[in-house]
Amino acid sequence: MGLVDKNLSLRNRGKMLVGVWEDEDALLSASQAIMDKGIHIHDVFTPYPVHGLDRIIGVKRSRLARVAFLCGLTGLSLMFLMIWYMYVKDWPVNVGNKPVRFSPSWIPVMFEGTILCTAYGMGIFFFLRSRMLHGIKNDLLDERQTDDRMIMTIETCEGMDEQGLINLMKEKGAVETREFHNGVQTVI
Amino acid sequence: MIHDSIIRERLVTGDKTAADVTRDISRPILNQPSSAWKIGFTLSLVFLGIFGVSLFWTVWTGIGVWNINKSVMWGWDITNFVFWVGIGHAGTLISAVLLLFRQKWRMSINRSAEAMTIFAVVCAAMFPVFHMGRVWVGYWALPLPNAFGSLWVNFNSPLLWDVFAISTYFTVSLLFWYIGMIPDIATIRDKVKTKTAKYWYNFFSMGWTGSTRSWARYELVSLILAGISTPLVLSVHTIVSADFATSVIPGWHTTIFPPYFVAGAIFSGFGMVATLLVVARKVMNYENYITIGHLEAMTKIIMVTGTLVGIAYLTEFFIAWYSVVEYEQYAFINRATGPYWWAYWSMMSCNLIAPQVFWFKWARTTPWFIFIMSIVVNVGMWFERFVIIVTSLHRDYLPSSWVMYSGSLTEVGLFLGTFGIFFTCFFLFAKFLPVINMSEVKTILRNRE
Repeated sequence: MGLVDKNLSLRNRGKMLVGVWEDEDALLSASQAIMDKGIHIHDVFTPYPVHGLDRIIGVKRSRLARVAFLCGLTGLSLMFLMIWYMYVKDWPVNVGNKPVRFSPSWIPVMFEGTILCTAYGMGIFFFLRSRMLHGIKNDLLDERQTDDRMIMTIETCEGMDEQGLINLMKEKGAVETREFHNGVQTVI
Repeated sequence: MIHDSIIRERLVTGDKTAADVTRDISRPILNQPSSAWKIGFTLSLVFLGIFGVSLFWTVWTGIGVWNINKSVMWGWDITNFVFWVGIGHAGTLISAVLLLFRQKWRMSINRSAEAMTIFAVVCAAMFPVFHMGRVWVGYWALPLPNAFGSLWVNFNSPLLWDVFAISTYFTVSLLFWYIGMIPDIATIRDKVKTKTAKYWYNFFSMGWTGSTRSWARYELVSLILAGISTPLVLSVHTIVSADFATSVIPGWHTTIFPPYFVAGAIFSGFGMVATLLVVARKVMNYENYITIGHLEAMTKIIMVTGTLVGIAYLTEFFIAWYSVVEYEQYAFINRATGPYWWAYWSMMSCNLIAPQVFWFKWARTTPWFIFIMSIVVNVGMWFERFVIIVTSLHRDYLPSSWVMYSGSLTEVGLFLGTFGIFFTCFFLFAKFLPVINMSEVKTILRNRE
């Protein structure tokens, strides 16, 4: 499995059916109805997080929390090693004849290093996994998907009852349905 | 089943739709700046100029242009440093702590509070850096290999912990602020018309499309960042207080400092957030988003933290008496009745007594009054740091070392100038970035339970 989530790109894909919703409750019930029919929803693009939608369309729980923990451990170890090297190995300083070894005064710096590595490590992995990069060309289906519209995409496959699906979408509150193929959208 | 709440007051008033939110919040960005913005920005630039001149004079002539001396070696500079760091903390607390506690009222105010954090930390950092005197060797504070006989930095010193704490705090806050803003930058990207604006908003939106997969990760990342920012913010002000508490100066050498400083930071930070938002909601027409309910919630926090700080002041007095250490006892009696009594009583009346007015509903719900009180809180908190630093230092153990201290014109200029940095940044932020978190506010338009 690659690091970048390939589901996020809309390029080089087959024909897709696109449904547009205005209301999140209607969208949630439509998603549930479509999934109940055994049809796989590719993705839903929303202007704000719609809670529960990820579970309905089967988005797996992200493992970024584990990544964050590992980054934190890395930060902690690196800071410990740094202080140990500078204080114990390279140039031990005799302060009031105190023993040269780990002391609680190391903790603040180790703690800050842990937080720094956790935040940035997790941030970098989040950007990588979510296919986010400065200046990358976005795959917008509708300019209003960052404003007030919710866009559902379903990849079509052979034997799929496309008309039935479109009717279901409309019945469940879709204000518009479109077909997306080779970068071109047609209202249907 | 999801129901609309009939008990709780609505967090966003005016029956707004998602499209209304986008339109209202992006209006200042898409339109020409208003005259209020232009006046405010020009005024900020004037103060920024004052900062530039004062800083140039300090670096050009040397630290001697400040009135600090051999006993009062910390004066306005460190007072201002602690003052600004404290202000910065409210941003993290609003975003992180209130997110962990699922307080939805934070959603209208977290963005501007986080921006405030970043700008306030920039202002704060100026003071210890330039207090070094020879600022060009400031990198000596970093653990870098060097040619001075392998001398490393002193990891036992809270001043070094501060270097790590403040820099971590700044960078992590910046990341938290930026990640939180990406969906909104994408919204602006899809609204702006000019090519240059489109390029830059596209650059910073990092290709955000609002995919459910991205939202799921985004929310997890926000939660974890909030989880780690909470101990971070506590650690930063604890370390700032350790700058004092680990010394052997009467009045500083107390174990109550960390919680007392953290409470003071929340107190002053909320004071500054209230100052900014009471004005911003009026000038930018955000009264439906930053409602009286929001202001009331903030005043309650101001009152609680003000009282906590007040209790800390009284506890210090009690412990000084109880410890039977004559130096400690003298330090506190001298604070209240010595030559700096006016600073001490300004602190007491602004921080402990004045916020008690928020027991009354009228005081909590009248914007102009909250504005005045927020200024009072900040004046009080500046005096708190001044009292801690100057009253403890001006009476040394040896009476022959007793001195008086007052800030020089350059020191005053530097302090006023940091308001220039702060407000210049804030006005630019208000012009180019959404002041309210649109994507979060859109989730609370319906008053769900």
